[in-house]
Amino acid sequence: MKRFDLKKLKDLDAKKLAKDFWYGKPHGERRLGDLYIPKTGLYKHREWRGVKDTMYYFNNIWLYNYGHMVTDILKYSGGNPKGLVQFVKGTMRYRWMGQTYLTVMHWFDRCLEGMRDETLRATAWHFRGIVSACLYQIVEMFNRDITLGGDPEKWRKTIAHDETVWGGVFYGFPDVAHIPLQMIPYFVTCHCNNHTVLNYIDAAQALGLPGDPCPMCQAEAGIFLQDDVPDFFPALVTTNEACDGSVATSVIQDWMINKPLFAMPQPMQFDDDSVLENCAKEIEGAIKFTEEMTGVKFDWELLKKKLQDQNELQRNEWEKWDVAANTNSYPINGVGQALYRIFYSQYGDMDCWHETDAKVKKIMDKCVEQKINTFPMTRHRVIAWSCAPLYYSAWCTWAYNCWGLNTIINMDSLMFDMEIRTDSYENCLLDMAKYHEWAPMRRMAVGGLQHIFELWENMEKFNCDMVMMYDQIKCKGMQGVVGLFEDEFRARNIHAIWMPHALPDKRDVSRAEIRKIINDYMFTVMGEEPLDPSLLEFDDSNSW
Amino acid sequence: MKKKEKKQNKALKVLGKTVGALAVAYAGLFTVFYLDLDGKLLYYVVEPFMQKRFDNMERRDPMSMPYDQIDSEYMKRK
Amino acid sequence: MRDLKHLIYFEDLLQEANNDLVRKGKEDGNIALGYTCYFMPEVLLDLPGAFAVRLRAPRCTSPDIASYYMSGRTCHYGRSLMERALEGGYNFIDAQLATETCTVTCRFQEHLEYMDDVINNAKFDIEFTDVPFKKTKNGIDHYEKQLSIHVLDFLKNKYDIDTSDAALMKAIEEHNEVCRLIQEIGEYRKLDNPTITGYEFQIINLVTMVCPKYLIIDKLRETAEEMKTRKPDDKPNYRIKVELVGAENDDPDFTKLIESCGALVVADRHCYGSLESRQPIEIKEGETPLRAIARHYLLTSQCARFMEQQEMRARKKRVADIADEYKADGIIVISNKFCEYWSYERMIDTLVLPRDYGYPVCSIEKEYINSASGQLRTRFQAFVESVELKKIQEGK
Repeated sequence: MKRFDLKKLKDLDAKKLAKDFWYGKPHGERRLGDLYIPKTGLYKHREWRGVKDTMYYFNNIWLYNYGHMVTDILKYSGGNPKGLVQFVKGTMRYRWMGQTYLTVMHWFDRCLEGMRDETLRATAWHFRGIVSACLYQIVEMFNRDITLGGDPEKWRKTIAHDETVWGGVFYGFPDVAHIPLQMIPYFVTCHCNNHTVLNYIDAAQALGLPGDPCPMCQAEAGIFLQDDVPDFFPALVTTNEACDGSVATSVIQDWMINKPLFAMPQPMQFDDDSVLENCAKEIEGAIKFTEEMTGVKFDWELLKKKLQDQNELQRNEWEKWDVAANTNSYPINGVGQALYRIFYSQYGDMDCWHETDAKVKKIMDKCVEQKINTFPMTRHRVIAWSCAPLYYSAWCTWAYNCWGLNTIINMDSLMFDMEIRTDSYENCLLDMAKYHEWAPMRRMAVGGLQHIFELWENMEKFNCDMVMMYDQIKCKGMQGVVGLFEDEFRARNIHAIWMPHALPDKRDVSRAEIRKIINDYMFTVMGEEPLDPSLLEFDDSNSW
Repeated sequence: MKKKEKKQNKALKVLGKTVGALAVAYAGLFTVFYLDLDGKLLYYVVEPFMQKRFDNMERRDPMSMPYDQIDSEYMKRK
Repeated sequence: MRDLKHLIYFEDLLQEANNDLVRKGKEDGNIALGYTCYFMPEVLLDLPGAFAVRLRAPRCTSPDIASYYMSGRTCHYGRSLMERALEGGYNFIDAQLATETCTVTCRFQEHLEYMDDVINNAKFDIEFTDVPFKKTKNGIDHYEKQLSIHVLDFLKNKYDIDTSDAALMKAIEEHNEVCRLIQEIGEYRKLDNPTITGYEFQIINLVTMVCPKYLIIDKLRETAEEMKTRKPDDKPNYRIKVELVGAENDDPDFTKLIESCGALVVADRHCYGSLESRQPIEIKEGETPLRAIARHYLLTSQCARFMEQQEMRARKKRVADIADEYKADGIIVISNKFCEYWSYERMIDTLVLPRDYGYPVCSIEKEYINSASGQLRTRFQAFVESVELKKIQEGK
């Protein structure tokens, strides 16, 4: 037992204590790493951020989001309490749901560690937007899941699609729900609780799949092989995006789902305008297929309206990029920025995105007007390139807290970088084709090396002085170009840290190994000292 | 008059109790929040329970699924 | 069986990409056009004044420098090509007609484009063609347009190659003659006691892909003639017959290894195999030659990248039908390590073909050039024994 040390008590500075209590400890004195319970990633206690921010976190983030995780179910079920019953049934039936859903607030915790003031608020709104959109999809899935007693009429008016099929393809269908097959069961759950996905990867490998294909595709295949996909749809649309692995998993999906399937592949050489027509026809094919499968007529006016709404989201995004690139007042951290952007641009337009953007814009405008330095301990402005580790998307938060590495933008956020014309059906379709060709993990990864090397111009555009080079060890496209990147980094004298990872599978490269690689680079190459040494090494091997 | 006062007192008491109960609940929730008791409950109790449930769940054998051309009558039957 | 007259000559031609006939072809004033994938129609690269060379990297076992550029975690085939290019082994090619049909070969070809000092040839240029994932009308339209722009226009504008319909017709005729000869030779694999081994056939077929056709056709004709009188051994020196299915495979020694374990390879449904690539091109009424080529190459391909539902499902049956046609006792499904398409396709074939079609399957993950032959030999021997046992149990 520890002895009570009277001397220590005498040494305490009451004024400092009061100040820390009221304002929270300044960066550098926080020792956030001491808060963890070893291995688990749980907190001995949550971070004290000063009275104002702690109470904001407690009331407006923790309580607010826990509350909305219930009320949103009702909202998206049209107020029907049966929605709650379906939700519970789904939670008890599907691993990705039952093991993951309640851990959502810990995802917030990990990603918002150390955040204060406007940054805390704006980033949390981004997360709230994501959670709301997830709940919409989950509720829609369970309310239609006929194996759980869902509504067969709703089931009939649903199209399932690969998560890489952009939701905008289905904008023109009133009363038809379009729900990505993998976005919630695989993609989002990895971020919240990466334990579940390991079951799916193992399921695919147990049937003879080698360990080297992209683990994201392996996990997606495993969800089908484990019979863990709700039966909420009569037909599905697949695509070749983002890579060969996505094409290859289509066979597993087709086999396990055994329902009518429309493949909507996108051209690879997308700089060539002669491919647009083919791509547009495939999108039209998907629209026709949706009409046939759901019995609902396509409505051009509705498509136009939704695309105009989506264009507004794109304009908001450009405004955010402008602030991020040219000021120190961008109030959203790296992980909040990346996940929100990829989610809304891929899934497509929803009210919750507009509501979120309005709130965030207000905060951002205030930051710009008052010239608030939102990340005051920034030492390096970082651009993250290639695809990110899903089990450690919160690395950006850690890197800022520990080293002052502020992730300004990442590669996947820069996809879909366009507005879609709605002046005529033909123009609209061609732009939709272009938009689809510019999908995440694809826009920079296929169609020529010039795309992947857009890094240099984006570094300049966003005023970044360092690259966090994601090294997805099972991504053949990125592995196939590592040497040229090395050559270019050397030739351009750019500080780049290679961060190995295996997308959802923390068993290949652990989070501790990722941190060690960054630590080593910062100590040995940059010759810098950490802002918070308690974050250098800690054991979160079994954490969510 | 007395009756009215009594009523008022009762209302105040109920109000006081409600406010008190809300305050206690709020403080309780804050304790849960600050000490990460939600995380601990989920990590040590809920997740192992759910994991066990899903590990033992009966699932369709993937090898039992046919893989031939799709049944063209599929949509008509549904 | 008596040795084939030209086999050693053919074997020699496969020892390096820039072989005697390639050099002769260039001396004759033709340009050499490199390609890697079936989706780049070989016939278009064999237009008058040019000849096609499907790139191989024979005897490349350790692609060290390529592994710096493409890491050690990508397909050995793609890296081997890169290594050979870096060694200067492809300096003879005047252009690379590239496709983005699988990631790593695409990356290899992108390196040729980006690193302009790899191919030491002043004429060298590279052009990419987009290849559709579906065999629909839309797919064929798209493919035809792409071939017109990125192959014909490229060859005409850059290398002054005649790309008229008449020239295309001539190329198709020559191509079809090669196809008919290879098919004729390949038919002997269907005999109860085949008069050609899988190794011999693969050598002959590969030669037609890597040499100017006009320089090899005489020897092909002679070989086809020779086959007519070739007698099989009295006692077959194989124990079972197998179909070889899967990804990229241009290594005859791999086939030799399989056959040395007692499994005669009677059908080759893999990249660089003959079952797709050596079907003559038919021009239907009202079709332009280019349209016929686009349709032919798209419809004959059994590549694992096709995504239409009926196509994904038909692929399995097609493999079983080939095994029926060639009287195979079993199927060997191969994938190259780090090949995304065939990792999945191999797994699914391994599950579906025995279950739904009753064919025993040996599932193999291999390297481009196989140095670990001991392990593979054990696998093949075990497979041969298991198929034999099955036959005994079935009373055959």
